[in-house]
Amino acid sequence: MTQPERGDPTGRNAEALATAIAELGVPCSLEARGGLAVVMPVLESVAALRAPETRRAVLSLAREHGFTHVAIELPSERRGAGSRENDATLLRD
Amino acid sequence: MDADTIAPPEPTLIRMEAELAAWLEARAPIAIGFSGGVDSTYLAVTARLALGAGRVLAIIGRSPSYPESQWVAARDVARSFEVPVLELDTAELQDPRYAANPSNRCYYCKTELWSRLVPVAHARGFRAVADGTNADDLSDWRPGAQAAREHGIASPLAELGFTKQQIRDSSRRLGLPTWRQPSSPCLSSRLPYGVEVTSERLKQIERAEAALRALGIAGDLRVRYHEDLARVELSADELPRWLEPPRFADLRDALVATGFRRVALDLRGFRSGSLNVLHGVSA
Repeated sequence: MTQPERGDPTGRNAEALATAIAELGVPCSLEARGGLAVVMPVLESVAALRAPETRRAVLSLAREHGFTHVAIELPSERRGAGSRENDATLLRD
Repeated sequence: MDADTIAPPEPTLIRMEAELAAWLEARAPIAIGFSGGVDSTYLAVTARLALGAGRVLAIIGRSPSYPESQWVAARDVARSFEVPVLELDTAELQDPRYAANPSNRCYYCKTELWSRLVPVAHARGFRAVADGTNADDLSDWRPGAQAAREHGIASPLAELGFTKQQIRDSSRRLGLPTWRQPSSPCLSSRLPYGVEVTSERLKQIERAEAALRALGIAGDLRVRYHEDLARVELSADELPRWLEPPRFADLRDALVATGFRRVALDLRGFRSGSLNVLHGVSA
């Protein structure tokens, strides 16, 4: 589950970014750590990020949503879509 | 440049190499702060060739903030090219101003290094002390340069306009194994500013980067420390294959074994000074 950063003066919007990345075909939750967006894709969608155009699109979206860095958390192979462990807790700045 | 082809040197670079030899001759005998990296190795070997063994000394400042493998490589290359070496221990981690990891952390590190190295060099009769700072470094955020100035350290490569690429080209023609070695700033650079530098954290980062090298990852590589999360920066060539199952699980497992609970691949890949960008510090 992704939680929004309500009233974030930096203009970062983690929830909107997670939604936009999911629309690229990479369903994910997202954790904001300052300017770093940690994207937590479901196990099956990590490989989609091998495509350079997908990576470029994610980077572009992250910039649009106020982030300077994007990192893809590598899921445990035991962790798949819909598991409790895949839920993210958003850390605020 | 193709890895198997050595291009003929450009006239500009030939002139600069001659200027460097003359610069060294005018200031000899000279001691050099030596890390075994691309720049200081080029400077030390050039000085050895220009001045002879008796008029140059490469001084290594050993510290937990540099990986042990780097010192082994530094000693090896010095031995191969008959560069005399002296090793000193530095203790920047015992300075609370350094350990607090402010954005000018490098100033305290270099202050510690030069305050130990310069008196030793002078006591041994070396008139000048130089470092491997190059012309490209001048445009980056490098508070360590202030400490160098305060201790009278010369930077001939920067002074004569040598770029990193020119140093790599000249190194290659000299047969130095460092010519295509990735840049290797200290391990503390993997910690965000404000996160305390401890020997345990540095050892964890050192183990993590060594584990990734053991997986066969080549080129530029950084493990950025974000408490429980390791953010891995790889070169653009390496990144795609580590997003492929089951490889990403191998990468993750390797870093979890070094004490990180979570592992993330930076999508943009390696960036020099990445944490400076993240924290809004610029040159």
